[in-house]
Amino acid sequence: MLLGPSLLSLLLLVQACSLPWGIRRQPSPRGVLGLGAESRQDPALSGDGRLLASLVLRSGRSTVLLQDRRSGQTMPLPLLRGQQPHSSPSLSWNGRYLALLVWRGGRRQVVINDRATNRLLPLPLRGDQEAQRLSLAPDGRHLAVELVEDGQSRVEVFNLGEWLEPDPVPGSLLGQAPGSGSRP
Amino acid sequence: MSAVGLRSKGVFAVAPGFALALGLLLGGCLDNGARPLMGLNQQLAHTAVNRDPALGSDWLAVIGGREGREQVRLVRLSQGAPVPLPGLNRPDARPVSVAVDQWGERLALIRELEGRRELVLYRRSLQSLQLIPIEPAGVPHRLALSADGRVLAVEVGRGGLSQVDLLELP
Repeated sequence: MLLGPSLLSLLLLVQACSLPWGIRRQPSPRGVLGLGAESRQDPALSGDGRLLASLVLRSGRSTVLLQDRRSGQTMPLPLLRGQQPHSSPSLSWNGRYLALLVWRGGRRQVVINDRATNRLLPLPLRGDQEAQRLSLAPDGRHLAVELVEDGQSRVEVFNLGEWLEPDPVPGSLLGQAPGSGSRP
Repeated sequence: MSAVGLRSKGVFAVAPGFALALGLLLGGCLDNGARPLMGLNQQLAHTAVNRDPALGSDWLAVIGGREGREQVRLVRLSQGAPVPLPGLNRPDARPVSVAVDQWGERLALIRELEGRRELVLYRRSLQSLQLIPIEPAGVPHRLALSADGRVLAVEVGRGGLSQVDLLELP
């Protein structure tokens, strides 16, 4: 059977937009996030998925950009100016905390930007430990750091519970994992 | 004196246990009150290499193992113990980047298989692995999963440019 041109076009359109198991692709970041053809790397999402942090080049230096994922609106991060290159951004649930690596004092350092109090909190590491990657827990209670020592990578986890106020995760104890039949 | 300052060869040669204990004691608290999770960190140190950590509330996903034999591991922080991930790791695949949701239920993974990279979503309770196509075609490098497990952000290389693809998951 031959397909009419309109039916064929419709099938192609459906095929282009659909992914298996109901996964939906958000329209191109070029259009929504307003970066044109600019390169962006190392994405991080707030726990609720509302905010997107990513790295873009500004004056040739890697700089973290924080945006509302849906509107593309950019949030200012004044405390991070002049501390590029930035790397490995990580966000808490509501995006109150942004953990990342910055360049300070001639070395790469771990900092946490508390956007609620407008403070930049450094996490000093011992001796010649060099941080490579970070991951902040959604509630801000823990930070995992990939460290390089003697050319070997290892991961250490820090409890920040006595240092940071928690960024509340709604229903974290009562909620149910999406798409699963039971709580793990 | 810092813990690192004590790590001379002599100290370790004479009393390695004492030096390690003292080092851990002095390093137990950083200036700002951040405290290393000693038990978990020691357990992680038993693996030759650990990299690319991803935290989801009580869960830590890492890529670890010996060079060329790396696997994704998922550890529950409160119990300090890894949980099995049947069907996720393959001996012929090299994990590249991993992320986990706050329940430790969904893991998103970029892995290299026969020289090609692919993006997969793993559901732990179902032990199911789902391949997510990259469209338009590109090479995935790094990913992030929102803690609620609903949004996936993937850095994809296309034509010499890095872009971020955003996917909403049901």
